[in-house]
Amino acid sequence: MEVSVIRSSSQAKISKTELGCRDLRFCFGKSNDKNKIFSRKPNSVCFDSQISRFRKAGLRFTLKAVHSDPILESKSPATSKSLDRLRLFVGLPLDAVSDGNSVNHARAIGAGLKALKLLGVEGVELPVWWGVVENEMGKYDWSGYLAVAEMVQKAGLKLHVSLCFHASSQPRIPLPKWVTKIGESQSSIFFADRSGQHYQQCLSLAVDDLAVLDGKTPVQVYQGFCESFKSTFSPFMGSTITGISMGLGPDGELRYPSHHKPAKSGTITGVGEFQCYDTNMLNLLKQYAEANGNPLWGLGGPHDAPTYDQAPNSNSFFKDHGGSWESPYGDFFLSWYSSELVSHGNRLLSLVSSIFGDTEVNVYGKVPLMHSWYKTRAHPSELTAGFYNTASRNGYEAVAEMFARNSCKIILPGMDLSDEHQPHDALSSPESLLAQIRTTCNKHRVEVAGQNLASGAPGGLEQIKKNMLGENPIDLFTYQRMGAHFFSPEHFPSFTEFVRSLSQPELHPDDLPSDEAEATESVQTSSDPNIHLQTA
Amino acid sequence: MAAVTIDSLLQNPTLLFRPKAKVMLKPPRSLDCSRNRKLPLSRGSCFCSFNPRRTIHVVRASSSETALIGNFDTSSSDDIFYKDIFPVKRIEKVEGKFFIRLDRSKDQHDWQLTVGCSLPGKWILHWGVSYLGDSGSEWDQPPKGMRPPGSIPIKDYAIETPLKKLSEGDIFHEVKIDFNPSSEIAAIHFVLKDEETGAWYQHRGMDFKVPLVDYLEDDGNTVGAKRGFGVWSGALQQFSNVLLKSEASHADSQNNNIESKDSKNKNRCLEGFYEEQSIVKEVSVGNLVSVAVRKSPETGKVIVCLETDIPGDVVVHWGVCRDDAKIWEIPAAPYPPETTVFKNKALRTLLQPKATGNRSGALFTLDEEHFGFLFVLKLDDNTWLKFKENDFYVPLLGTSSVPGQYGQSDITTEEISSKSYTDGIINEIRNLVSGLSSEKSQKTKTKEVQESILQEIEQLAAEAYSIFRSSITTVPEEVVSETETTKPAVKISSGTGTGFEILCQGFNWESHKSRRWYMELKEKASEISSLGFTVIWLPPPTESVSPEGYMPKDLYNLNSRYGTIAELKELVKSLHEVGMKVLGDVVLNHRCAHFKNQNGVWNIFGGRLNWDDRAVVADDPHFQGRGNKSSGDNFHAAPNIDHSQEFVRKDLKEWLGWLREEIGYDGWRLDFVRGFWGGYVKDYLEASEPYFAVGEYWDSLSYTYGEMDHNQDSHRQRIVDWINATNGTAGAFDVTTKGILHSALERCEYWRLSDKKGKPPGVVGWWPSRAVTFIENHDTGSTQGHWRFPGGKEMQGYAYILTHPGTPAVFYDHIFSHHRSEIANLISVRNRNGIHCRSLVKIVKAERDVYAAIVDEKVAMKIGPGYYEPPSGSQRWSLALEGRDYKVWETS
Repeated sequence: MEVSVIRSSSQAKISKTELGCRDLRFCFGKSNDKNKIFSRKPNSVCFDSQISRFRKAGLRFTLKAVHSDPILESKSPATSKSLDRLRLFVGLPLDAVSDGNSVNHARAIGAGLKALKLLGVEGVELPVWWGVVENEMGKYDWSGYLAVAEMVQKAGLKLHVSLCFHASSQPRIPLPKWVTKIGESQSSIFFADRSGQHYQQCLSLAVDDLAVLDGKTPVQVYQGFCESFKSTFSPFMGSTITGISMGLGPDGELRYPSHHKPAKSGTITGVGEFQCYDTNMLNLLKQYAEANGNPLWGLGGPHDAPTYDQAPNSNSFFKDHGGSWESPYGDFFLSWYSSELVSHGNRLLSLVSSIFGDTEVNVYGKVPLMHSWYKTRAHPSELTAGFYNTASRNGYEAVAEMFARNSCKIILPGMDLSDEHQPHDALSSPESLLAQIRTTCNKHRVEVAGQNLASGAPGGLEQIKKNMLGENPIDLFTYQRMGAHFFSPEHFPSFTEFVRSLSQPELHPDDLPSDEAEATESVQTSSDPNIHLQTA
Repeated sequence: MAAVTIDSLLQNPTLLFRPKAKVMLKPPRSLDCSRNRKLPLSRGSCFCSFNPRRTIHVVRASSSETALIGNFDTSSSDDIFYKDIFPVKRIEKVEGKFFIRLDRSKDQHDWQLTVGCSLPGKWILHWGVSYLGDSGSEWDQPPKGMRPPGSIPIKDYAIETPLKKLSEGDIFHEVKIDFNPSSEIAAIHFVLKDEETGAWYQHRGMDFKVPLVDYLEDDGNTVGAKRGFGVWSGALQQFSNVLLKSEASHADSQNNNIESKDSKNKNRCLEGFYEEQSIVKEVSVGNLVSVAVRKSPETGKVIVCLETDIPGDVVVHWGVCRDDAKIWEIPAAPYPPETTVFKNKALRTLLQPKATGNRSGALFTLDEEHFGFLFVLKLDDNTWLKFKENDFYVPLLGTSSVPGQYGQSDITTEEISSKSYTDGIINEIRNLVSGLSSEKSQKTKTKEVQESILQEIEQLAAEAYSIFRSSITTVPEEVVSETETTKPAVKISSGTGTGFEILCQGFNWESHKSRRWYMELKEKASEISSLGFTVIWLPPPTESVSPEGYMPKDLYNLNSRYGTIAELKELVKSLHEVGMKVLGDVVLNHRCAHFKNQNGVWNIFGGRLNWDDRAVVADDPHFQGRGNKSSGDNFHAAPNIDHSQEFVRKDLKEWLGWLREEIGYDGWRLDFVRGFWGGYVKDYLEASEPYFAVGEYWDSLSYTYGEMDHNQDSHRQRIVDWINATNGTAGAFDVTTKGILHSALERCEYWRLSDKKGKPPGVVGWWPSRAVTFIENHDTGSTQGHWRFPGGKEMQGYAYILTHPGTPAVFYDHIFSHHRSEIANLISVRNRNGIHCRSLVKIVKAERDVYAAIVDEKVAMKIGPGYYEPPSGSQRWSLALEGRDYKVWETS
């Protein structure tokens, strides 16, 4: 519809027009049964809403094209290239496979996969739980996940697998029983906070190389798991499975469990607490302090840090001015605390990248977006989570460098968060933090993939679109997460709109614009401020 | 029909061997069983269950038999110790044509519009006219002279005329409308409706419009003629929707195809036009699966011969069993050709086409010791044919020859939508798109493709949504847990009240006539309360276009034919004083407009809630709403409200809150909740926090060949689904129970009152606490009598609902009638024994002429003329009540 509008204008717009054409094309499918399409629902009479929706979407394309051309004539091919590369994934339910290794609500997932495929989504993300697969040490039951992988393959979608070495409380997916049992007698395999409270949803990074699991180290156990995964799923590798995320800590993220509970709605997230109080962490700290000639600094964590729910200035460690974080002790402690996290990440990522290095899948690790208190000088939330990132120091350099070293890509959640929707008093800035991390990653040539924190955040879809299509666009985004809310009438229509307003990613190779034409121009596009076009 | 015939065959197996003369007589086309799943028209028209030419069913069934017999004959039929023919029903898409023709009638004076459809079905033309000078697109009723015989007026703007076949041999169902071109009629508008499926066939969500003015008047001005004609042909060119596929070329062979499709070349004078479109509909198709078992005298092995006339590749998914438990096992080889092992549980054999006829079949050679042969048929990845949701079972031991335990053979098709289905669509779309890419002029089609994809996506999402949601509360488990809680619930919830509620419907269809109903009812308040009722349902209170109140206009105007707002408040107050809770009848589905929009369509609201057409659903052609598509069924007489709009929901919540505050209503009776998603009801109920709420979810029960099915699970499932969508915040009228009581009482088939698990067959058997049982209301009974309870059996109905779990509702007309004292006695038995909405019911007898049950071990009851007395065991039963064909006992 809109195609003709554009076609009537000048030559420079033709490439835009082509893009429009592709948007209208739905490029998938295999068999052919002629009768079916027209007869699906005989008692349905009404198509007006689709018509109007379509018009809306069409209108948007038109606007985009018309607006962008005058400003961007030389750059439009480059823009279209970035759009072509953009791949959208949707997360499957966390409990897609749970106890007993059966697929939960398989029919719903089946219908959902079809809907996503029709919508033009590239693939789905599947969380694979340690606690589901390895019920006995060294014995793996992949049957449920294999069934899902088959479903995904049949639906013609790609699969991104997240290997989860943590537990989930909602829905409840615990660590393997044998691990929990070891933990009962040996609580030091878990992180502990200052009050000695253990966090039992994942193993402490301090035990990575200690033979605490019936004579094996956690790294060895993870290795066995990954290798079994690789061999079991080898028929899917590189074809259906295109990416793997390595679980690196709480919620799979590279961080300390500094915020046990998410803040209650309406309250502001506190600063969190340092998690260096389990025996093994304290041992490491002690060794480090002695090696640095300050044995007295190795007896425990900071004494003047606030507790979980408190604001930064409720104690002296994180104070904007004169806080202990800026003292030599603070620097000592934070350097150690953050480097332990990076070393942990390095251990696991080098493990997976060596395991999957000979396959065509990309390996990812997830880095959290600890955006609370970002506008203070100390960035307390990031510090307690293990990122030594303050007003005066870029703590993500070491992280990005570690990812680059292991040829891994970073998944950044929270791409749906915008500053304006954060509580004012939280001094939070998800957008600035995201920009900082992404700039750092660019510098180290680490690719960033996006994720949203929750579906239904106010303005979330707009913000995602901004992040996906804006300057420095990302090429892979995983939208979280399929379930009742996802398909509800409150949510699904807006998601449909969202997807349709992005470019359809799948194109026939012969539809692609020739690469040479763009190569020279694409370099300049990063500075192109075309964000307003996408939000128009 | 077919099933009936087969039944008799089953009961008399020897018939199978009797050659049938009838076979010879049948028209050849009924034997023409194409392997192509896209059926030729003639075939479709033969096998639709609703086809008037039913004899063909019978004939066809026997034709397959004959073939089977032939087959057996060649293999020494003496050894056959078992044979059976299972009729199977499949859903197929049948394609047909639909035409519109405008021409002169025979006398050359009047003109005639003919609409015809070649597909079988109960086609109804839903039509109206517009007059010269009308500005909007509203319909008017045509003058009487124009209405063909058999027309029924619908409200004051439309006529429904059934399409008929002119003679038996005709392919098309037709309707002809004669009109005088010199009349004032400007255009004829119509949509086509298939009454059998409830489907509407429209022109892009609007009606079809055939303009008559300008070019038909013989001496009219020619300029106008051209313009008029242009508009009209343009409209028809575009006419299509997802169900109506425009075909570039269409068959010229049928009828007098007087004009080519290209409107540009059409004779613009007076020749009229002829336009044909493809139309696709789902029909159920009957096929047969025949099975015969014989013993091979040479090898001593058992040979199962399976044959079917189902077209296409049919895979038999089969196994054997050792005993009655029917546990699948894989027998020893040899297997027929094209057999694969499926997951170590079953074998799959592709049936081989037979040399003669269009059948396929296979022979299975089995060892003698097997007890039975189990199978299901797989047509494709989506479609499995089963026997009553079970496996087909063929006994292999020579003794039993008839699958007796199943009685009627009726087989349902279970259609699982799956990948290949989607792929079909995608491919279809792709073909269309790629076919179009070179032709730039086909934008419209691309758009349709987009629409159909979006619709498909929406349906898939809705499916996924319903499963994800329901997986949180699965219904059967809920029933188990409910029946286990023997102690009465004390917690009050809007779905159940206290659990001990007894509802009185406090009005009938005539109550508005006195114009002072509120005052009349007020005088009866203490009387009603003294009968034992705890909740009373009052008529809809708002200003309404219809006097009964179900066509609300200004929701905040509570002066109605029943009385003023002040009188209503007074009534509610007196009802509260006598200890009753009061339900307001709220109509949330639709609302009548105050004003017309710029097209002259009534869809702009006034009053305090002055919504515009964004509050109206988009999918009702009469009201041109700009909202979203309806989340439920449409009520066609008034604009249906679009509950997906935030502002609508906010306003309605406020309104309900106002009714609670201002009037003192304690809860709601929700009208026509089929019209919108139950999740919105949940939203409204959570906002208005009622003491009790019940929804009217009324759709029809399942009938096969005019007889009500024993199993009404799908009917009650729809009601339960709705309750589930409200998250159990509302109960629902148990329409299923009413329907089953109708059949059971009317036809003396009391066995219907137990489902296959030995529970009550209505909603009350699955989710008792949310079932509001009733036998009559203002719609079904009263002076409307849409679905009246069998006369003279009302007290049996009340003996059932007032002793059973669920929340019983008693209709006003019955309270104030000669039934009154009997009803009062039943209520007092219920209250005396503390029977509540979750009471445990144990069905002890469900036979032809008697049904008996014991509730909570405290009350025993029987209905029906047959004999029943409660057992004289540890409990001592004493007769509490007795009436015509019912008895109630309680423990003493």
